[in-house]
Amino acid sequence: MIEARSLTKRYKELTAVDGLDFTVPDGSFFTFVGPNGAGKTTTIRMMCGLTPITSGSLEIAGMSLPDQVADVKSVLGVVPQESSLDRDLTVMENLLIYAGYFGIEKKLARSRAEELIEFVELTNKIDSQPEELSGGMRRRLLIARSLINNPRLLILDEPTTGLDPKVRRSIWDTLQDLTTQGMTLVMSTHYMEEASELSDIVAVMDHGKILSSGPPDELTADYDGSLEKLFLSMTGKEHD
Amino acid sequence: MGAQGLRAVTPRWFSVWKRNAYVYAKRWKLYALPPLAEPFLLVFALGIGVGSFIDQIEGVTYLVFVSAGLIASETLLRATFECTYGSFFRMTYQNTFEGIITTPVSASDVAMAEIFWGATKASISALAVLLVLAVLGVFSGPLLVLVPLIIFAGALNFSSMALIVSSRVPDLEYFTFYFAGVVFPMLFLAGTYFPLSRLPEIVQSAMWLLPFTSVVDVARSLIIERPDSMIYWKSLYILVSTVVLMELAIRSLTNRLVR
Ligand SMILES: Nc1ncnc2c1ncn2[C@@H]1O[C@H](COP(=O)(O)OP(=O)(O)O)[C@@H](O)[C@H]1O
Ligand SMILES: [Mg+2]
Repeated sequence: MIEARSLTKRYKELTAVDGLDFTVPDGSFFTFVGPNGAGKTTTIRMMCGLTPITSGSLEIAGMSLPDQVADVKSVLGVVPQESSLDRDLTVMENLLIYAGYFGIEKKLARSRAEELIEFVELTNKIDSQPEELSGGMRRRLLIARSLINNPRLLILDEPTTGLDPKVRRSIWDTLQDLTTQGMTLVMSTHYMEEASELSDIVAVMDHGKILSSGPPDELTADYDGSLEKLFLSMTGKEHD
Repeated sequence: MGAQGLRAVTPRWFSVWKRNAYVYAKRWKLYALPPLAEPFLLVFALGIGVGSFIDQIEGVTYLVFVSAGLIASETLLRATFECTYGSFFRMTYQNTFEGIITTPVSASDVAMAEIFWGATKASISALAVLLVLAVLGVFSGPLLVLVPLIIFAGALNFSSMALIVSSRVPDLEYFTFYFAGVVFPMLFLAGTYFPLSRLPEIVQSAMWLLPFTSVVDVARSLIIERPDSMIYWKSLYILVSTVVLMELAIRSLTNRLVR
């Protein structure tokens, strides 16, 4: 689904993403894990065409960025780190207007929106404004919105940051449902245990580089199954 | 990224214009009534109030003279407010644009939509002023039908200029510099409320560089039915500067959003 070769992003002197090579197979759950400032968001923004690539190549669903950016974006679902819900619109309107950006026809948009609102259990909030929702509900609405175009690839940037454990569990369940349905997922997180629990492949990042990547149980085989210990031994520092 | 500016805009921009129109329509009483009340105030205060002290100006009553100024000011102010505070709010505090540009809609499309939306809102208000004046019987000539075209072109021009500023300021507070340093001097000196010829030559020449001056002048010559020989050049200047400013605004907002 994704092929990245020497993917690099420089901001003036700072190299935020430093020559990443990775492959995300179709139907897999792939996670970037690393501390704040590791370069996770920048990597994800490059996948969505939100940040220009400084050098290297990036291919999504057989299309290359940045040349085919609009086609790439039409098969993506994106859940950003910061809420980008439309605060002038209700829950339902958020999905319907968003469908308009994909050129989805009105009737189809409405039936998909109803389905998705039910899927993320917001049916009783259908006419609420985003600011009337709890943090967890807002995150679920962002997930519903990202699915409106039936994406082949769902990208989530720190989808559980700032949520309490119970709500995090419910987001995990939702994501696992989606993998079962065959969707490809790429997530970023700074919670090591979240990465091990959910993903087929983990890429451990620090300072814009991938330190190590592979299935979590293989990676952590020499570290008592703990990504924290792996991170500590590779960087010499505790992970927060 | 390949194409940039106007050439990067796709028909998808219209979905964002529709989003803005939808939000506006939902709260039309809140958004539409105050701007519609303003024309009455302007016409009475400036046209009738101030006008009663002035006999004739350039061969017409003050109300007729100032009507083009009122229409042009309304266009300038509405377009500017929408594409400064309005666009900036959507861009930063509401984060709306970031959500939109992960869909096939590009940053260039968003910029185009903001410019056209600002122009749409400004034109609605300016046409309300025109309507009030026409109903009061201030004017009724056949050239009046061309005034909406000038209003819309001017509105695109002023929206683009405002969006350039919005895409460059770090914070809302900086807009006061734009209003104090650019918008208000332009608003008062461009022949809007008194003839440009009253100003020193050098100031006059400087004012002609601003497209707003041509908008006021062309609108006035259509309203008083006295188009001068320069009207085509002035109209052309409005069009060309509008296209240039749109190009710059689209590039500028794209650089702000895609970084
Ligand atoms: N627009 C930007 N301009 C300059 N530096 C940036 C910008 N965005 C991110 N960075 C820097 O790039 C590095 C990686 O940031 P980011 O990708 O957000 O990390 P993460 O998501 O893993 O916390 C950080 O040092 C951050 O300060
Ligand atoms: Mg981040």
